[in-house]
Amino acid sequence: MGSSRSSLRRVPDGQQLLQETGFSAAVLLRLHQRFQFLDKDSRGHLRSEDLEAELSENPMGDRIVGAFFQPGQETVDFPSFVRVLAHFRPTEKNRTRGGEQPEPANSRNRKLKFAFQLYDRDRDGKISRTELLQQVLREMLGLQVTEEQLQSIAERAIQEADLDRDHAICFDEFRKSLEKVNIDHKMSVRFLE
Amino acid sequence: MFSRMAPRGRSGLGRSLAELGLLLLAILVLLDGTVLSLVAAISSESDTHEAKPVTHKNTSKKSFPVLGIKYDDVSVPFEIALWVLLASLMKLGFHLIPRLSNVVPESCLLISVGLLVGGILKLARDEVPPVLSDRIFFLCLLPPIILDAGYFLPIRPFVENIGTILMFAVVGTLWNAFFVGGLIYAVCQIAQDQYSDIDLSTIGILPCLLFGSIISAVDPVAVLAVFEEIHINELLHILVFGESLLNDAVTVVLYHLFEEFMDSGSVSAVDAILGLVSFLVVALGGVLVGAFYGILAAFTSRFTSHTRVIEPLFVFLYSYMAYLSAEVFHLSGIMSLIACGAVMRPYVEANISHKSHTTIKYFLKMWSSVSETLIFIFLGVATVEGEHHWDWIFLTSTVILCLVARIIGVVGLTFIINKFRIVKLTTKDQFIIAYGGLRGAIAFSLGFILHSEHKRIFLTAIITIIFFTVFVQGMTIKPLVELLAVKKKNEAKRSINEEIHTRFLDHLLTGIEDICGHYGHHHWKNKLNRFNKKYVKKILIAGDRSKEPHLIAFYHKLEMKNAIQMVESGGGSKLNSSFPSTVSMQNIQPKIQSPPSARPSERVLPQLTKGREEEIRQILRTNLQKTRQRLQSYNRHTLVVDPDEEGFDDLFLKKRRRMELDWKVCKTSSHKSSNAIYSQAYVKPGAENVPTIQIDLASPQSPDSVRLLDEVVQDQGLTMSLPSSSRGAYKTSGKDDGRDQQTLLRCLSDPGPDPDDDDDEDYDDDEPVPT
Repeated sequence: MGSSRSSLRRVPDGQQLLQETGFSAAVLLRLHQRFQFLDKDSRGHLRSEDLEAELSENPMGDRIVGAFFQPGQETVDFPSFVRVLAHFRPTEKNRTRGGEQPEPANSRNRKLKFAFQLYDRDRDGKISRTELLQQVLREMLGLQVTEEQLQSIAERAIQEADLDRDHAICFDEFRKSLEKVNIDHKMSVRFLE
Repeated sequence: MFSRMAPRGRSGLGRSLAELGLLLLAILVLLDGTVLSLVAAISSESDTHEAKPVTHKNTSKKSFPVLGIKYDDVSVPFEIALWVLLASLMKLGFHLIPRLSNVVPESCLLISVGLLVGGILKLARDEVPPVLSDRIFFLCLLPPIILDAGYFLPIRPFVENIGTILMFAVVGTLWNAFFVGGLIYAVCQIAQDQYSDIDLSTIGILPCLLFGSIISAVDPVAVLAVFEEIHINELLHILVFGESLLNDAVTVVLYHLFEEFMDSGSVSAVDAILGLVSFLVVALGGVLVGAFYGILAAFTSRFTSHTRVIEPLFVFLYSYMAYLSAEVFHLSGIMSLIACGAVMRPYVEANISHKSHTTIKYFLKMWSSVSETLIFIFLGVATVEGEHHWDWIFLTSTVILCLVARIIGVVGLTFIINKFRIVKLTTKDQFIIAYGGLRGAIAFSLGFILHSEHKRIFLTAIITIIFFTVFVQGMTIKPLVELLAVKKKNEAKRSINEEIHTRFLDHLLTGIEDICGHYGHHHWKNKLNRFNKKYVKKILIAGDRSKEPHLIAFYHKLEMKNAIQMVESGGGSKLNSSFPSTVSMQNIQPKIQSPPSARPSERVLPQLTKGREEEIRQILRTNLQKTRQRLQSYNRHTLVVDPDEEGFDDLFLKKRRRMELDWKVCKTSSHKSSNAIYSQAYVKPGAENVPTIQIDLASPQSPDSVRLLDEVVQDQGLTMSLPSSSRGAYKTSGKDDGRDQQTLLRCLSDPGPDPDDDDDEDYDDDEPVPT
């Protein structure tokens, strides 16, 4: 693995990123190569079009792409790219964490938070009916369903999850409704191990 | 599979009387059978005498027989029916004694009964009673169990863990077979038992390997029987169960391989390679045959909309044909059956009526239950009847070797597998997997059809292993599960939130994988889904249902369940916390594109403002709560006067007055339509008919009773756009009525509810149907 060490120097902030994200050197290199592949004009950063090209068929494509960009920014540099993908690293079991260490990016909580932010585009901390209804459900189900069906589904979803009766789903309610789902498994990409 | 119903609130005396009655009944049945067969023996002799006088009719004229006995004609079906009846009565008996059925798994009890019956029969008769002939077993008793398992196989966890399952099934079984076979051979060579009359060292290596291959396979019947009752978490269940299903291919191949080798006498390298090839052929061939028949069944079900009655028949017939066809070519019948059931299920379920669905479910459960019972009883009988050869060394070493082989196999394989798994298997998991490796009737039947000279000793050993695993392991696994605090099965149903979020995460992960440029699990699943949606569904699913997204289908199911619960709640049961009526209320939305020359009775309701909507929802909610209280007071069993009723009446009257006022306004202008909904909401709880309707509904729900609600509505001058009966059934007053009619028909054709309904969600049958 000596060659990877030397190539790691080519990666901007390589060592720091390794520590922050917990990726192994090999994975980081692969991601760097991928970044360079996506960055077709070799600008050193990605624009949304670069990412969208990969996600053309995905109904949630622009939402996912949007998650990479900080609000207001138009470009993504490599560290941000890697930080987002760090959420999808498979979790290790039986890790002991010291009290001062910050929560790793791929903990269950952080994964859920990431997913929640994808729903909650306006970042007000709640998934309201319109966010759920118009946007997410409409994107997922496309034109195959009627407006009424969408409304009823959204309504029912909120009723089921909404415990504090504010007609929106906050992060805790979101987490609770997914407590039976194995998020560690579901939100992990093996490639990033 | 077997939901245990605890006897409710009967007095102690009544219960013991009932149990006594059942016992007497069982004994009666038994005696009946014995007596009749004895009579048969007698009558068969007299029958043969009667054959002769027929030719000399004139010589001996006998009087017309008013009452005669002719047992031979009906003997076979009679005995079969008798056995099945006995088995079922036994099952009934066990569940009446809850303490017994909590400690001892059903399979043990059934084997014991079999032993008992076998003993009785051996003493009573001279003939050998019907033993578990391998043909009956493989052709009649095994397929229902496997079909039941395959049809309701939870696809998602199965496919997610397919790698692990295959490793255990293939590599694990091979390891077991060779380990046990080889070491048993070694033991036989070394052992010098003075007490045995068979020289163990004469058992060659091949018979030993054959023996090893027979008892190495984990048995699906035994696993199902025991694991059903301990309710462990889905992952472990599917691992052990999947292994037991898939190792059939390995067992078939090994068995035939070693048998061939034994006959031909010598083994060469070419044969070994051919064996490997044959394994692939058997496994893949079985799956292909099953998939083929599954697709045929799905396609056939597309056209059954006019002959709903025979829909279940197609499912059963095609599956059975798949099994038999696979057996013809010596392919793995079990894998074929599983593949057939799993492939046809999503499409067939989209096509058939609800009643057919219920029929299929219940028939499969019934048949598999009966089969299982019979298998275990026969095992017991065969134990008593068979010729045994007790050789302590052979037996004990077999048991020990089997256990050791299993443990080493599981631990070793898990070590390798965990490198590839995201969610690793813990030591507890490994223990349960190892401990859950039960042997059962398949091993026995395979042993039964052996042609070896050492058949008796092998058979005894097989029976010993089966008894050991079923009794010892079966009985102790439940307390061990409690002791080790293994995660239990999640009994709660899936919510719509879970469904939505899971889909969302699927898309998200596929997107992330695309960004990483990695063709992973999600990528291929996505591709498969898309292919399925684009081509396969169009061909195999009739009508509009082919375009229905899975989420909608799921949602419909949930809503229907709620509606049924709502209807049934006249009996006093609690309502689900979600309020379907609020939702369906909202669905009476305007047909935006309805022609201006709409019929005067149809009311066009424009969109509401958000504030108004909130108000309405609030009102509806409070009303539903009041309704619930009201319903509880009108319990069919107790007409207790509800103290709240007095106050409620006042509220009622006020609201009714307000409502009537609104009505008048309604009829004139359409922008009071919001009040129309407002008052429409009141129709149901507000009308005086509600109590009486609810009482009617307390009786088994029929669409007729629900129609009363509709009449009430019509009386008030409002007709909903779909004059249908079930309130919860029309959620989509969407653009095509045709689709709604279809939905309605499917909904109404079967109100048949079931407390443990829900085949899609959990294991008891439940499995989310993937798109």
